[in-house]
Amino acid sequence: MTVPLQRTPENDVAMSLRGLVKRFDTKLAVTGVDLDVPAGSFFGLLGPNGAGKTTTLSMAVGLLRPDAGRATILGYDVWADPAAAKARLGVLPDGARLFDRLNGAELLAYNGLLREMAPDVVDQRARELLDVLELGVDNRTLVVDYSAGMKKKIGLACALLHGPRLLVLDEPFEAVDPVSAALIRDILQRYVSGGGTVVFSSHVMEVVEKLCDHVAILAEGRIRVGGTLAEVRGERSLEDVFVQVVGGRTATGSELAWL
Amino acid sequence: MAVKPNRSKPSRLKPSTFVRLKLRITANGLRGSTSRVVLFVVGILFGIGGAVGGFFLLALPGFLDDTRVAGIMLPLAGTGLLLGWLLLPLIFFGVDESLDPARFALLPLSRRTLITGLFAAATLGIPAIATLLASGGVVLSAALLGGPGAALAQLVGVILGLLLFVAVSRAVTSAFATALRSRRARDLATVLLAVTAALLGPLQLGLLAGAERADWDRVAQVADVIAWTPLGAAYSLGTDVAEGRAWAVPVKILIVVVSIVALLAWWSSTVERAMLGTAASGQRAVKAGGSRSAVARLMVRGLPQNRFGALMSREVRYWWRETRRRASLITLGVVGVFLPVTMSVNGGGSGFTVLFIGALASISLANQFGFEGNAYAANVVAGVPGRTEVQSRAAAFSLFVVPLLILIATVVSVTAGHPEDLASRLGTLLAAYGIGLGVVLPVSVRGAYALPSTSNPFAMSSGAGPAKGLLAMGVLLAAVVGTVPMLVAAWLLDDGVWRWAGLPIGLIYGGAAYLIGSRLAGNLLDRRMPELLSAITPE
Repeated sequence: MTVPLQRTPENDVAMSLRGLVKRFDTKLAVTGVDLDVPAGSFFGLLGPNGAGKTTTLSMAVGLLRPDAGRATILGYDVWADPAAAKARLGVLPDGARLFDRLNGAELLAYNGLLREMAPDVVDQRARELLDVLELGVDNRTLVVDYSAGMKKKIGLACALLHGPRLLVLDEPFEAVDPVSAALIRDILQRYVSGGGTVVFSSHVMEVVEKLCDHVAILAEGRIRVGGTLAEVRGERSLEDVFVQVVGGRTATGSELAWL
Repeated sequence: MAVKPNRSKPSRLKPSTFVRLKLRITANGLRGSTSRVVLFVVGILFGIGGAVGGFFLLALPGFLDDTRVAGIMLPLAGTGLLLGWLLLPLIFFGVDESLDPARFALLPLSRRTLITGLFAAATLGIPAIATLLASGGVVLSAALLGGPGAALAQLVGVILGLLLFVAVSRAVTSAFATALRSRRARDLATVLLAVTAALLGPLQLGLLAGAERADWDRVAQVADVIAWTPLGAAYSLGTDVAEGRAWAVPVKILIVVVSIVALLAWWSSTVERAMLGTAASGQRAVKAGGSRSAVARLMVRGLPQNRFGALMSREVRYWWRETRRRASLITLGVVGVFLPVTMSVNGGGSGFTVLFIGALASISLANQFGFEGNAYAANVVAGVPGRTEVQSRAAAFSLFVVPLLILIATVVSVTAGHPEDLASRLGTLLAAYGIGLGVVLPVSVRGAYALPSTSNPFAMSSGAGPAKGLLAMGVLLAAVVGTVPMLVAAWLLDDGVWRWAGLPIGLIYGGAAYLIGSRLAGNLLDRRMPELLSAITPE
């Protein structure tokens, strides 16, 4: 057991990453990520495709073993004391399939019991979540036959079920229609105003600008810029900052002439 | 600006394009992963071993210089090879679906081009090349018995034979897959198909057992008949020439070619259904169920409402709802009941067969983590302890297997005419199953691999796939060897004593092996959860 770090009210950190490194077969995916997510913040992790967002978040929540570095969740080391860290954490992994041969209610019950919750609490919360997320309390459709938006919503419900203090969401708005996206945003905002912390990754600037109070931009496996939204953005739009930091190219008009 | 249409006429796609695509996929699959290269090399070594052994076995009639032996042995060998190609993919290996037909659904290809291309690519693989090399023995036999003419005829026969084997294995697995795919229609048709496919093996064994007792003239009669069916025709061409029946050669070639064409047509029709299936699935009306509580809906009745019970209930649901698992369950059920029955009806060694079935049951778990892909992330995030994970999976599978083993023990004891052996036979079965679990559980943690996310339950990834199938065979062998002490005990002890002692001894022996294996696997899993997750995540 690691002893939780001493906390002071103004310096409360929900998630802290120090020098995370991950190398895959041929390439270095993450080359030393340092990140502090303040408790109670709505934190957006931005980055282009392939920047290492999923790799970073996977290492932060205990799904992928880092080659070097530390990750702590609310003061508990994810790799030294996984049980304590994971109990306070809710995760929506990107691209990870759910146990999709269960229906929505079964999946929620499974996740609840897996986290050793009392069956009657699981029943009550599952009913509420299915109702609020408009997934249908009595719907018997298997999750494999859900639409993309419904899959995200049931994944979010699974992450919220045990009342975690920190939510880590990988691309929660990917392939989600505007109506479901608004609903998810609404629930996340309510969760943060209740004292929870949300970390999510995205490459959609509008969503991040609308929701987040803190952002960090990840490119080529390193954090390039980080801080409150106002600090990072300054006088410009977030999109301008992003393109400049990441170093995108603009089309000159001479290529693709056949279009 | 409008996009200019490409006016050059598309050149007809040749089968060699598919072959190159397959080679490229196999090569890329091996790139940068030492373990996969090692497994691939192991697969090749086994292929070479099989090819060399087969070659000399099949060349034996030529060395003996005996056309009668050739007339009996070669058609039977052809039949055996055909059945191997039919059954081994269903039970152990799966088929190499590196070229998944569904991926070609959007390309403007005619069905004929697609099937010829896929067929050409399918003939290129370790098993096919090994079979071809081994069949060189038949050609050598023909050359020794009947000279160059016979050798030439047999060469044609061997090549046609290989095409026939590949066509059979593709057509049957594809048809089987199509039938098992629809989640609703897991009905009579599926079971019937499974019964037919799985019955061919036992029937053949029964035939051979019968042949052992019969005199050689009767075997020769059977072989003569088989030589005129697609089963053995391709392997009897050389002998025909050597015995002066050259007129039979074109007729038999016709028989084989017609069979190949018919099988390809069958394959083609099921492939088309599979291609349409992937596009059409997912359109399902919302179904309303009873308003039972979430927990009540998940739990299998009678299991405790806690973590272990939830894990077990989910596994039980998955064994029936997931196509791959259901396929292996049905195959196991059919093989498990019919193989020992056929053996015992024929008076063969049912004791050993029964033991084999017990061990065979356990290897369905060899890649248990690969079945649901990276959905396993949920259990990692929830921090499920390794031992709970492994033991709940074994317990859920046993809910299906133990009743099956009881059924097998009963049926075999009754058909063998010794109902009093029921308890001791069940003891042997349970011991074999327990030892199998003890071996397979650590293997399932250490040797897990990603399955391609196609809807074909027999699909395997390319490259490392066949070698991983060998891993399952190794587990099977270890479990069978581990159970041999039970047979020795049965032989040493007095029959009367064994009848009542067999069941408790088997329970204790198998149970101990299971406990050791599951603890080992649990500890291994606790250390390797993230590594296991990356191993089973499809690329």
